[in-house]
Amino acid sequence: MYGWIWRHLPGPLFLRIIQAVVLVAGIVALLMFVVFPWAEPKLPFNNVTTE
Amino acid sequence: MPAQGMPRPPRPRPVDPPTEVIPRVEDDYDDEYYDDDEYYDGEDDKPAPPPDSFARKAVRGFGEALITMGLVVLLFVVYEVYVTDLLSAEKQQEATAALDSEWGSNVVTPPPSDPNRQTKLNLIEGKAFAKMYIPVFGNDWKFSVVEGTTDKHLEIGPGHYKDTAQPGEPGNFSIAGHRVGKGAPFNDLDLLQSCNAIVVQTQTQWFVYRVLPMRNEVAGWASDPKSKQPACAGVAPLSTTLGDAYAKTVGQEIVAPTQGEVIAPIPHQVNATVPPDKQARLLTLTTCHPRFSDKQRLIVHAIETKSYPVADGFVPPEMTEG
Repeated sequence: MYGWIWRHLPGPLFLRIIQAVVLVAGIVALLMFVVFPWAEPKLPFNNVTTE
Repeated sequence: MPAQGMPRPPRPRPVDPPTEVIPRVEDDYDDEYYDDDEYYDGEDDKPAPPPDSFARKAVRGFGEALITMGLVVLLFVVYEVYVTDLLSAEKQQEATAALDSEWGSNVVTPPPSDPNRQTKLNLIEGKAFAKMYIPVFGNDWKFSVVEGTTDKHLEIGPGHYKDTAQPGEPGNFSIAGHRVGKGAPFNDLDLLQSCNAIVVQTQTQWFVYRVLPMRNEVAGWASDPKSKQPACAGVAPLSTTLGDAYAKTVGQEIVAPTQGEVIAPIPHQVNATVPPDKQARLLTLTTCHPRFSDKQRLIVHAIETKSYPVADGFVPPEMTEG
């Protein structure tokens, strides 16, 4: 998977490195600001109220 | 691999005497070949294509997926413990700013002369209405308390259980707060000792609550030298001062998440019919327990010992404790 992505990035090496960094940053941002906030209430870690 | 298996069959040959000479020749032949750089280059490239079989791809993909999932889980821990702190800090700041401007702009109605007859606060869900301080946690421990205890409210800061008493009222002023992440206001709640002050400030009044004696201190409280300390003035096991209805109300307890009775006007006595004027003025804090889990709830009960009217430049002496 990672190898496949790397092979499909266009341009010379330094451009590929920049693209890879941007990709990783984008995925981390997506997780941090969309996926995790959505998933967190569904997980049994942080309920603080009594019923 | 089948490619490797092919050259093996010739091995039995040495059994045949005349062929004994031949392996030597092969050795020399091989050495010459391996010294040749070009031959090496070809050798490096060639084995690559056949091993990229479907099985190899599948195994590699599976391994990469596992590594990726591990990274995502690690990232989630970072999110939960650090990133939510940053997001909540901003919300808490906004709520505090809104509260400050509200308190600053309104004409402060002087607190009623009889503290028992204070006016009710107008609580709006999601809006901060009071500030909370725990001096033993340090000067920087202060949070604006919002109305409501849904996830959204608790992201902003500690949340007041709707329908429980207001600060200073008879009954049980109950607050929930996160223990891990989201500002973690109640991270150290387990460290509170009996008689530690919890100060709540509204627009017009300061209320000083003190943590009740712990379960193991209740029996020997009267003879405990601690009870003579000035900080413990007004603090005594509730069962001795207010009767058996309060027997289960001690400084700290750990309960199941379903035990909502800890925030009842008289904790653990949901059906008790004690008139409000006979009820103690309690403060109850709830958070998750143990840390990083929601299996149980950590509960801290405190009782109001003092109140002061808000005045310019006045800070309750209890604020410098700790």
